[in-house]
Amino acid sequence: MTFTMDTNRDCARAWEAMPSVLQESASPEQNVWLMDHLAHCESCSADYAQQERLRLALSLPADIPVDPAVGLKRLLARLDVPLPKPVVQRARNGWLTRALAAAVLLQALAIGALGAKYWSDNTNPAYRTLSQTSAPVPTGALHVVPDASMSLADWNALLHSLNLQVVGGPNDVGAYTVVPSGSSTAGSPVLQKLRATRGIRLAEPVASAP
Amino acid sequence: MNDADIQADATDRMLLERMAAGDRAALGVMYRGYHGRLCRFLSRLTRRPDVIEEVINDCFWITWQKAGTFHGDSRVSTWIMGIAYRCGLKALRQHGDEPVDEDTVPQERLPSHDPGDDRELRDWLGKGLEKLSVDQRVVIELVYGVGHSLDDVAVIMQCPVGTVKARLFHARVKLRNVLPSLAGEPARLKEGAP
Repeated sequence: MTFTMDTNRDCARAWEAMPSVLQESASPEQNVWLMDHLAHCESCSADYAQQERLRLALSLPADIPVDPAVGLKRLLARLDVPLPKPVVQRARNGWLTRALAAAVLLQALAIGALGAKYWSDNTNPAYRTLSQTSAPVPTGALHVVPDASMSLADWNALLHSLNLQVVGGPNDVGAYTVVPSGSSTAGSPVLQKLRATRGIRLAEPVASAP
Repeated sequence: MNDADIQADATDRMLLERMAAGDRAALGVMYRGYHGRLCRFLSRLTRRPDVIEEVINDCFWITWQKAGTFHGDSRVSTWIMGIAYRCGLKALRQHGDEPVDEDTVPQERLPSHDPGDDRELRDWLGKGLEKLSVDQRVVIELVYGVGHSLDDVAVIMQCPVGTVKARLFHARVKLRNVLPSLAGEPARLKEGAP
């Protein structure tokens, strides 16, 4: 059994070594070992003989004659032909670049037009930011909070008697903004009268915005 | 690489340098020097002489254009065989298995009659090679015919050495099984090797 395994291993080694020995590129030791193995292994010897014959057959000159003189003449003529310039590729690249530039220009114009439109429309925006100044308050304006039980007729009569008119409110706390009507002014007497009137819970001058 | 190989490579490098400088005479010397082995190598890919000539000329046209860019990473012969291999594969893709039109082959190009032994040997080889794939034929030709090392073949075919070894192994096993032996015995049909 051992003999068979060793033999198989040696045959595999011989099979592996055959190409390099045939190429004469094997080491002298490898060469000697293979020749020694072939001397007592009929199967590997037959394989080696076939490989030798294969190498001999492959070393025969080509059986399809191709005249080198004719081929070389054609090659030299071909060298004289100027190399085709990659005109098509260059043209395609140029076209692509121009198209991209045109698209970018078109986008820039469109963005500019939109910007101009919004700029002109936004002179009086429908909102006010915290950084903007408060709406102007008329001079002499007062905040007045009437009592809930005060009738509309009494409220109107009071405003009429003091030459006041409502310009704003009521706000969240029920305060109205009132200003003197016509050319009259809402001075300290008007404020005192409002405070003294029954049904008026609060009367204060409007402080100017900070 | 033996002394003869070293000497041949030095000559090839000198020719390549002259070609890079535009010397057409150097191109002619190299063309004639490689023509025989390229013909035989390419005849393993196609049987059409017009295609073989076209591939050889494509190969040397590229060699002429790229002569100045050769860095010497391999032998010149390995570099040229690699170019020829790729040109050959390209030609195979273009021409496929188009049959040879004998009328288009000039009379002087038709194979001359071999001496009896050579003819018998060629027939014997032909029976084996026709059972191999293109890659297996190329490896067999480069190793047994041209005498390249497995490392060189890997460079030529642009694949790992292990792939070359596998192709060579399977090609040899297939040839051993299909080729009649020297004594005229029927071919052995063992698949496992050795």
